[in-house]
Amino acid sequence: MNQPIHGNFRPFAVIGERLLASTAIKIELPPSQHALMVQRKAAIEKHLEREGSPLRGLIRLFYQQGSVAIGATIRAKFRQEGFDIDIIVELLGRGNLTPAQVLDLMFEAMRGEPGSRYRDCTERQSRCVTVYYADGMHLDLSPAVLLDERDPRRSHIFHSKLEEPRWKDTTILTNCFGFVAHYNARCPIDQIFAEDYGRLVRDADLQMQIMMKDADSVPVPVHSTVVGGKSAVTVALQLLKRNRNIRWLPRNRRMPASVMFSCLSLEVAESGRTIGQNLRVIAEHILDRLLQAKSLGELLYVENPVCQGDIFTDRWPVDQTDQDLFIGDMRLLLRQLAELFDDRRSFKDRSKTLEDMFGETVARQVVDEFAAEMGQSVRSGSHFLGAAGGIVAAPSIVSAKPAAPRNTFYGTKWPKS
Amino acid sequence: MAKKLKSLLSQVQDMASIWPQFEVALGPGPHSVVWFGPLKGLERPFTLSIEYGLPVSGLVQRHRLFPVVRVLRPSLVLNFDAADEAPLPHVYFEGPDYRLSPLCLFDPMANEWNPSMPIAKTTIPWAARWLACYELWEATGRWHGGGRHMNQEEPQDAA
Repeated sequence: MNQPIHGNFRPFAVIGERLLASTAIKIELPPSQHALMVQRKAAIEKHLEREGSPLRGLIRLFYQQGSVAIGATIRAKFRQEGFDIDIIVELLGRGNLTPAQVLDLMFEAMRGEPGSRYRDCTERQSRCVTVYYADGMHLDLSPAVLLDERDPRRSHIFHSKLEEPRWKDTTILTNCFGFVAHYNARCPIDQIFAEDYGRLVRDADLQMQIMMKDADSVPVPVHSTVVGGKSAVTVALQLLKRNRNIRWLPRNRRMPASVMFSCLSLEVAESGRTIGQNLRVIAEHILDRLLQAKSLGELLYVENPVCQGDIFTDRWPVDQTDQDLFIGDMRLLLRQLAELFDDRRSFKDRSKTLEDMFGETVARQVVDEFAAEMGQSVRSGSHFLGAAGGIVAAPSIVSAKPAAPRNTFYGTKWPKS
Repeated sequence: MAKKLKSLLSQVQDMASIWPQFEVALGPGPHSVVWFGPLKGLERPFTLSIEYGLPVSGLVQRHRLFPVVRVLRPSLVLNFDAADEAPLPHVYFEGPDYRLSPLCLFDPMANEWNPSMPIAKTTIPWAARWLACYELWEATGRWHGGGRHMNQEEPQDAA
């Protein structure tokens, strides 16, 4: 498990950090959606093991991979603003089945018989089967076969693109389970950050109260902010992925893989950093790696650190154009990050930067909620003041001055209206 | 019973102690001072001037009634399209340059300020509140600080 590290900084004392945290909360899988996802995963598991299912008795294990397993799931920007949930369906074996036949089998098992509730919302992809829900959530089920009993979760997944000839079908080595364990063991958690961030998440998601109330009777795995606490590295990773979605979806090209971001983030992960500091350090590191590859005339290469041959960059970058676009993205992100934290700039300009980085809708919600919260603090007089002024919602800095008596703003109406 | 007038020297001493970043100079007319200095609402520093003088017989000047606070730089930005408080929230509009209009920080009808009170513990924190709400208003077009206007009966909410 992650080891909590005790720090002495208050992570949200500056506006830039607060805006980033609120943005991350807006785009991540909230506790209530997490509980729903767990229910849906259990229902699918039961469905695939039902009487008459082509996969009955053939499933060894059913586990989450990718972003859900490291607590970094975010909303898909244009797919109905839902969530992508990745699940590995580990089979006992594949027999003589080809990759296409394994994926077809998974597709048939998941669709079920006519009248099944999954019949019309299941789609076969090139490596997985996707189940769509009306609320925008979608679960990607990737069939896999374990390679070696002594090396748990090192597996083959299957690639078979319907529109391509069958000779192109193949198996792909993966150990996402091992990488998740590696990530979770090494990703540093600062206790104060985890507590403060968890409080912001719970404030933002009233459903959490319902979950906590029912916790004794409903044994579901709980949200990442509850077990072990959330890492500032993972929050930065979520923001980085959101920024990638904003940049890449309009380009209509395959985008850099999330797992590649996770791996590169982990390479520079350290405790004691805020979200903004993590975002800067990770973006600088990615930029360095990209420029290094470019200088050698190569494409970025990232491999699973716990599984040689499991290449996280196998489908992206396709060419130097992809790489150059991403270099530009990282440079822009670093420039915008500096602008977001520049306290000489107006809050209006910084809000606009937040929109450019993470999307207009989410950023405006974040700014409006921040404005309402600060306004409430001003109206109630329940704030502190910094040494040079500056409304401080909580006395997180030593030199904070107590609030002044309440006042009523007054004045004249614009005389020329 | 009338509150005891706080002396100008006492006001200056309080300001120097609590807000040392403000510099004081002689003000317009006798028994008056003006402070210049930086103050933040959220995180961005603004440079303010605060004129204040004691009542002098025969002189009718606003800064002898209450501290007159103006934002010198960066200049306030008028927004005629704002949903609330267009084109500038809670000021005493004063030309020719309306961006230098004095801020309206308290309700004179509600006795929220009188000359016995220390400017350092009332006017300056209220100005910080105004600046914070101004920055939020500039970004969203909404005034979140509450308040009321002349000829308006009830305050929307006290700050």
